[in-house]
Amino acid sequence: MLEVRGLSKHFGGVRAVDGIDFSIRPGEVFGLIGPNGSGKSTTVNLVCGLYQPTAGEILFEGKDIAPVPTHRRLSLGLARTFQNIRLFANLTVWENLWMAENAPSHRAETRFLKRWIGGRSDARERITKALEFSGLAHRADDLAGSLAFGEQRRLELARALAAKPRLLLLDEPAAGMNAEEIAQLDERIRALQQQGYTILLIEHHMELVMAVTDRVCVLNFGRKIAEGTPAEVQADPAVREAYLGTAQ
Amino acid sequence: MGFVDYVQAIIDGLLFGTTYSLIGIGFTLVFGVMQKINMSYAAGSLAGAYCGLVGPQLMGLPPWSVFPLSIAASGVIGYLIYLTCFRFIPLASPLATLMSTVGMLLLLDEIIVHSTAGMPQNYPAIYDGDPIEIGDFMLRADLVGVFLVCVVAMAVLLALLYRTRLGMATRAVAQQPVAAQLCGMRLQAVNGLTFVIAGLLGGVAGAMIGASVGMLSPLIAGPITVKGLIVTVIGGLGSIPGAIVAGLMVGAAENLFQALRNVTERDIYVMLLLFVFLVVRPGGLFSGRGHD
Repeated sequence: MLEVRGLSKHFGGVRAVDGIDFSIRPGEVFGLIGPNGSGKSTTVNLVCGLYQPTAGEILFEGKDIAPVPTHRRLSLGLARTFQNIRLFANLTVWENLWMAENAPSHRAETRFLKRWIGGRSDARERITKALEFSGLAHRADDLAGSLAFGEQRRLELARALAAKPRLLLLDEPAAGMNAEEIAQLDERIRALQQQGYTILLIEHHMELVMAVTDRVCVLNFGRKIAEGTPAEVQADPAVREAYLGTAQ
Repeated sequence: MGFVDYVQAIIDGLLFGTTYSLIGIGFTLVFGVMQKINMSYAAGSLAGAYCGLVGPQLMGLPPWSVFPLSIAASGVIGYLIYLTCFRFIPLASPLATLMSTVGMLLLLDEIIVHSTAGMPQNYPAIYDGDPIEIGDFMLRADLVGVFLVCVVAMAVLLALLYRTRLGMATRAVAQQPVAAQLCGMRLQAVNGLTFVIAGLLGGVAGAMIGASVGMLSPLIAGPITVKGLIVTVIGGLGSIPGAIVAGLMVGAAENLFQALRNVTERDIYVMLLLFVFLVVRPGGLFSGRGHD
């Protein structure tokens, strides 16, 4: 599904990501963990095209996506959420989803008018469904900026799903959530996996990672130090050392 | 001059003020997506109105053709301004686009002066009818026409911004450029389109200014730029409703000052109005749209 080979990103002299490899199989939940500053977010930014890699390749469904501009990656089937929420705060909940759904395919040029000037009616049903899945149906006409924190996180996820991606990048979705919300998130991630989504989960919350992921890749100082099932990774001495003092 | 005359002045000012509203909206739209002021905007709008004159003067088209031609030309000029003054200019520098657009303002002004030998050009009125009398007051028919055209332009813009995905995209890019890209929006395309839309509005404003004054002169560019900026500041940078209200206010105030004092003094009082706003309400009538 997604294959990363020798991926590096250097900022000046800082090697934020330094030659990592991993590959995600279709249908799995793949965890990317590591202490703060280990290069997890940089990796996600590289995959979704916000950064250009210094070296290495990113293959999505077998194709190198380096030349694909950021705004086209959604139509490839790559969607993400952000650690620090990035909603369109002055658009309504409904409009946030409308912006993301039905992203341009390569045929989009011929449907320019329909896509950009056309009304909302043809999207209504799909968006209503997405809102129900996220438990936001009653807030459809409220401004996204007025939602509570947990609702904003759910809306971000709904917005990423609205484009019907094949690979979903979740960047610390549990950040700032309480135990009950994390339990809901756990269920939601499992539900998404059952619906056939492949998920790359970046997370600090170890319990959640260990519970929902099929395989985990551990980064430290921009390098991969371990990869395997949650149980294997937990037993790995290098991982224990990297997490010493911060491990749960 | 009695009370009736002052009210009459305010009415005329309100009708003409819609052109200022459009110019203010144009400044605000571009500021909304780029966080930059396009100093050449009013000059570009006026240049568009001049281009419209090519139809009847050189191509033998009927006089009314000036209006659509002006609007279209101004849209094109808007895009050219985006390409030359923004697209390849480093946006991180706060002064770079200010310099490039001031340069464009001077360039457009020079082109106008040279191509018309500095002579004012006659501009057709939008409607040539008898004034409409309501009691003691009189509505100039051509100004009513200007008012209606501007209101329609604003209505179309608001529908575009708030009812279509295109408009939402411009607002989304203004608020969250990063997320907007990942939602499939191309920043350069949305930015360029915003300049075209602002340009089209400016074309309406330029044509309507020409239509109500009866002529175009290169001398108009400076004052219109200043009025547009005043409207933008009074309305609140980034606020479209603010620009609409402020445009009407500036139009009315300007005409009232002209009736109370005279035409040579009126701009001093408009500047004073700006000063009052900067001191009392620096954020403008409406606080701007949220930016990240």
